[in-house]
Amino acid sequence: MTADQKLVLLTYADAARTAHDVLTTLDQHSGDGDFGDNLLDGLDRVRAALDAHPSEPAFHLAATVFLDEVGGTSGPLIGLLLQEIARGLAAHTDDREGWRAGVSEGLAAIQRVGEAEPGDRTMVDALAPARDAFEAGASFGAVADAALTGARKTADLRARRGRASYVGDRALGAPDPGAMGVALLFWSLAHVAGQGDRLPDLPNLL
Amino acid sequence: MNRLFLPADNAVERALQGLALTHPDLLELHRDPLYLTGRRRNPARRVGLVSGGGSGHEPLHSGFVGPGMLDAAVPGRVFASPHNRQIHEASKKAAGPDGVLHIVKNYTGDRINFGIAAERLRADGIPVRRVLVDDDLATDDASTATGRRGTGATVLVEKLLGGAADTGLGLDELADLGTLFADASRSVAVAARAQTSPSRGGEAFELPDNTLEYGVGIHGERAAEALPNPGLEDLVAHMTDQVLGALPHAADSVLLLVNGLGATTLLELQAVHALVCEALDKRGVHMAGRLVGTYVPALDMSGFSLTLTTLGAGWLDFWNSPAHTPAFTVLEPTR
Repeated sequence: MTADQKLVLLTYADAARTAHDVLTTLDQHSGDGDFGDNLLDGLDRVRAALDAHPSEPAFHLAATVFLDEVGGTSGPLIGLLLQEIARGLAAHTDDREGWRAGVSEGLAAIQRVGEAEPGDRTMVDALAPARDAFEAGASFGAVADAALTGARKTADLRARRGRASYVGDRALGAPDPGAMGVALLFWSLAHVAGQGDRLPDLPNLL
Repeated sequence: MNRLFLPADNAVERALQGLALTHPDLLELHRDPLYLTGRRRNPARRVGLVSGGGSGHEPLHSGFVGPGMLDAAVPGRVFASPHNRQIHEASKKAAGPDGVLHIVKNYTGDRINFGIAAERLRADGIPVRRVLVDDDLATDDASTATGRRGTGATVLVEKLLGGAADTGLGLDELADLGTLFADASRSVAVAARAQTSPSRGGEAFELPDNTLEYGVGIHGERAAEALPNPGLEDLVAHMTDQVLGALPHAADSVLLLVNGLGATTLLELQAVHALVCEALDKRGVHMAGRLVGTYVPALDMSGFSLTLTTLGAGWLDFWNSPAHTPAFTVLEPTR
């Protein structure tokens, strides 16, 4: 089972463009409204970096862009996930095994830095189900489904970490933009791997 | 209206440039990204010490780079955390054979940005640990998850860790020891006038005449309490009692920092110092070492803070070991 790394990131960039307005609206409910801009800006920069350095490992390039150049707190945290996925893919010949290791390590790194647990209404609520699905041997399609389901369930959660914690109950009813933004990566992976047929289309995703 | 004399562009970079020009033998300035490293270190040192945080607290941290203290300092904009890229690059440059130790004041932004840099260092194969400084007793509130702020004790922790690092300790021993230093330290700060707002000029907040803001932070955070000025003698006695009472271990022997918050004169600080000495003496507490001056200001706030660190066995040697930095030099063991 393989998924072209560069194509996953380009698909992610397209997905972030389609979802931009919805992510922005979600972030205006719970944060400072810049998440959609930051994700799209970061992935556009990744697209440019992939063009400029076609022989570099794609996820390594993407990680450096998000860690060094993307604003907000969520940008560099997504950078950590991409960094660990890059390391996982470099360390394993089997693609699925590389993703499994990368997502597991990426989640651990994000939790060490952000000190968030599942249920705190953060991107961890998309990543932990994805990690669990990988560990259970699920396909890319089933992993994406788990991540999307976890992200959507944040609509019922009250924030304890992250900027949404400042607004309390007022964020209830809409999912966390960071969790949705991270779930889009797995949606993109599933589509590139040809396993996205049963996932919702982007406009209906959120 | 009072205003700060800050250049419109790159105020922090300009100031670091000035510092590096003053001490070309000690400091190397890196501009992209912005950080300072020391040019010399004790050959016995196996772990690079890196600290940083928002600017406006000078000489913290840049003034403490040099043999015996920090190996690198990473400045953010005024009162804002540095970017993880600055911390990552500074740490790679400053790392010793046993890796790098981050000394971080307890603020959410600093924790996250140092944390992201630490994950990048781990991915690079560079061992890294963190010592969190959280000494401000005014923010000791169990109902919040954020914990006590990091303030004046940072200087004491940086000096103690510098002395310990120069004995050749490894990363884990040093990190555990540094956490003990931080745990043994408490501070409280009082202000008579807010700092100048860097963006709009004028005082960042107003205080009625003869009123003190008791328990202020180092970024102009208001205190929970404003109190009528009781006079310096009573104020210092109260602060000394409060800090002694907040120390987690019985204080037989302590380090003292009397720290100016920016606009408080040395005339005042030395008078405060003498009053603290009297208060400690009356309470039977031995003061083994001290530092008096403006070390961790909040820009030009008028006020001062007191920090005490309960000394553990052998820590005084770390305090007295030689250091040579722009803002703090120990020539030889003082005894």
